[in-house]
Amino acid sequence: MATRHLIIGGGTAGMNAMRAIREEEAERSEITLVSAEKSYSRMVLPYYLDRSIAESHVFTATAAVLGQWGVKVHAGRRAAHLDVKANVCTLDDGAKVEYDDCLVATGSSPVRPPIPGADGPGIHSFWTLDQCRELIAQTKPGSHVAMVGAGFISFTILNSILALGAKLTIVEIAPRILPRMIDVTGAELTERWLKKHGVAIRAGAKLTRIEDARGKKRLRFAAGADILADVVVMATGIRTNLDWLKDSGITINRAVVVDDRLRSNVPNVYAAGDVAEGRELIAGQPDVHAIEPTAQEHGRVVGANMAGKDVRYRGSLLMNIVEVCHLDIASFGAWDDPKAEAVSGLRPDRPAYRKLLFTGNRLTGAIILGPSSDIWTTNDVGMLKGLVQSGVSLAHFKDHLRQNPFDIKPAFIASKTTGALLPETVLGRPSKAPGTTPVAV
Amino acid sequence: MSKILKIVPERCTGCLRCELACSYMQTGEYQPAKSVIRVSPFEGHTSYAPYTCTQCAEGWCMTACPVGAITINTAGAKDVVDDLCVGCKLCTIACPYGTMFYDPATRKAFKCNLCGGAPACAEACPTAAILYEDVPTQDWLGDFAAERFERVLVGAS
Repeated sequence: MATRHLIIGGGTAGMNAMRAIREEEAERSEITLVSAEKSYSRMVLPYYLDRSIAESHVFTATAAVLGQWGVKVHAGRRAAHLDVKANVCTLDDGAKVEYDDCLVATGSSPVRPPIPGADGPGIHSFWTLDQCRELIAQTKPGSHVAMVGAGFISFTILNSILALGAKLTIVEIAPRILPRMIDVTGAELTERWLKKHGVAIRAGAKLTRIEDARGKKRLRFAAGADILADVVVMATGIRTNLDWLKDSGITINRAVVVDDRLRSNVPNVYAAGDVAEGRELIAGQPDVHAIEPTAQEHGRVVGANMAGKDVRYRGSLLMNIVEVCHLDIASFGAWDDPKAEAVSGLRPDRPAYRKLLFTGNRLTGAIILGPSSDIWTTNDVGMLKGLVQSGVSLAHFKDHLRQNPFDIKPAFIASKTTGALLPETVLGRPSKAPGTTPVAV
Repeated sequence: MSKILKIVPERCTGCLRCELACSYMQTGEYQPAKSVIRVSPFEGHTSYAPYTCTQCAEGWCMTACPVGAITINTAGAKDVVDDLCVGCKLCTIACPYGTMFYDPATRKAFKCNLCGGAPACAEACPTAAILYEDVPTQDWLGDFAAERFERVLVGAS
């Protein structure tokens, strides 16, 4: 009998796992997918929000693709219980699915602060396609949108909200914006830039209550004036969808603890993406990187291992990029490591900012900000990633970078980073093209 | 195996014809800002070398794209499908070589696609510093740059 793979979650990790199984397996196995939603790419929802793409563009695995892959789908269902001794997963409709191996890729959900009114009608999250549709329906030209939270998710829809002709106020409880993506200097530069582009920002603001106010919403704070808004978006963080695995016998720390092959303590149960706590690249320590690239790489590694290959994951690299009002903001690796030797350059007039963090002779973290019209910013973004990813010795180039933190390219090339990177692949072989269907590899 | 761009940096004179040819082929404009091959100066502008996508085996840009907008074209090059690219820039942080580009005018990513099998840069190069050959890709500039970087440092001290 063919191996029976069960994929729980149809997001980036699950999709990549299924695809990798089909790419790697020697004989055709059975794949069953349990997915609460249709498969779509969360990354592109902001572009649907501002109508620069059609809704059909967001879907990754259509019924046709899943059919082509021969995947049996429990659509609209969630996993409710996992019996790791009997190898049976029970779904929320009571259906039972037997498996030989299984992937937990249930992702995350948005959370809201426990303040009165935060869960009321007309208060939006921006995480799922349905929530994106709701926000589209509510946001009109001239609307005043109050966005609570100044993190990555909030910033990914900032341009879209402005493009819809809305007025935007960002509220953040931390003393500054993007506290988990860039440092204070970068945040100050970004805040100035956004204010110049008409975005109101209130950092260090403790929201205490949201009230209905004649068709609008009134946001009250511990200190300072109220904000009256037509639309409120809560972008206040996410949490892993792992409650259903409690008492399953699977070891969960911050997420499911996985080894280098992304197996949990139960060897035929894998975890990937937001719900996996696995090796990170810089220090080799366990970490949770709830970002798209990690979900993608995790998914592929799991798929290959499920298909009978033996692939060890080299570790996930924390990285984020977001563009707001034509300012690129990106960070890599251990950008906030207080023990690292930091070198930085600031050109407020451009504006441009680079911060390089060294551990010994190795670049272990980086922050980069610059106008997206500046071609060199884009090049440097990639090269910084390459330097952090490869861990090449920059012993000969550190002095140069210390004096010229904007002059990354000569150091990148002369440190032979390209040569160090070229042999590296995630699955130990050249990647295959995604095919004619819009599906991530 | 498919052909790739082999760079012989010692032959580059820094004339930038590759950048003009590339931008014209890629965008219809003689606009080096839109070229996906970039000539870099070394040793205080006494030598030059063109730098572009290696068409690496992993294809970090391709595997990172959340909507499958980067594929492999008939020339074997990783290529952006404009209709699918939404401009999310994930490829620009995934590519560890710094050879993904973003065009603010079109709001799409772009990169070297080997001009579909007839690379304009190789044809335009008057000194055969850019060759289109059936050889394994490699770090064409590393040794060249390392030696010249040392010379600059020695000269500066």
